[in-house]
Amino acid sequence: MTNPPSIIKREGKRPSEQFERSKLHSSVRAACLSVRSPEGEAETIAKNVSEAVIAWLETKPEVTSADLRRKATAVLTSFHPEAAYLYKHHRLII
Amino acid sequence: MDIISSLAIVAFAALIHASFQLSVSVLTLMSGHAIGAKTAHTKLLRLTNGFLLGVLLMTMLLVAFICFVLQSSFGSHVPYVVWAVACGLLLGLGVAVWAFYYRKEKGTSLWLPRGLARYLGERAKATKQSGEAFGLGLSSVIAEFIFILAPMVVASLVLIQLEPMWQLLGIGLYTIISLLSLLVVNALIGSGHRLSGIQRWREDNKRFLQFASGSGLLILGFYVYVDQIVTATVTAHGGF
Repeated sequence: MTNPPSIIKREGKRPSEQFERSKLHSSVRAACLSVRSPEGEAETIAKNVSEAVIAWLETKPEVTSADLRRKATAVLTSFHPEAAYLYKHHRLII
Repeated sequence: MDIISSLAIVAFAALIHASFQLSVSVLTLMSGHAIGAKTAHTKLLRLTNGFLLGVLLMTMLLVAFICFVLQSSFGSHVPYVVWAVACGLLLGLGVAVWAFYYRKEKGTSLWLPRGLARYLGERAKATKQSGEAFGLGLSSVIAEFIFILAPMVVASLVLIQLEPMWQLLGIGLYTIISLLSLLVVNALIGSGHRLSGIQRWREDNKRFLQFASGSGLLILGFYVYVDQIVTATVTAHGGF
């Protein structure tokens, strides 16, 4: 990705930041590991989800963190629905 | 009130306490972050057990403290007005739990100040040592205090009328029963169940848990009102 888009965080209440593939990768990987996926499978899924999200971001100069999470959840659901459930809901547990 | 009735009220109050979900949410979140960070299973168990120990200790300390304050203020003979206030607390909280316990959104978010909820979430994520998990357990009981105050006060009012030996037993009984939901979740996590399954069950059944907690508070409030105020007043005036 030559020019990573800006991520608008919490509807602009926190400063925007550049998209980082590694952050997305590690959060998806952690969600997969949380549902006891094997490490290799978690890595593969995280890589596939990151690539799909990056392809979606190609034409966008900026997106909100909520949109990014929605897209990542949608892609993750096709690979691992249980991990996608935790990924989507982890902020709504408390 | 005889010992069996007293301990039954204490046990019922503790069951209502066990139905409140903040500590379970924090334990679920903390375990999720620990498993996601590839924490070894033995270390995960140390974390969850540390959390449980913190909840146990704070619950026990709070009940003992409330018993101490009430006994210092009223001795072992509690005035009717204090029973009436405790019943009012139970009934008011019961209605409030029915109406407001969970937020009207997906997930299991509770009606807590969002700053406090965010803080607990961040601490759950940052917890790496069993000592930190112990502190998180202590904090989660404090954060839940607004919900557990009424059952704790009623249990304490009942306990201070008993002999010291039975008081200690009652405090222990309350603490163990109030931990039941956490013990179940801890056992599920320890035995390798998926957190998504646990969380999904909690979300699917949250309205039932809310109804059970609120109803429990109302039933306990009504029972204590009849048992401690109506019956005692009628008996004192020569009725029955």
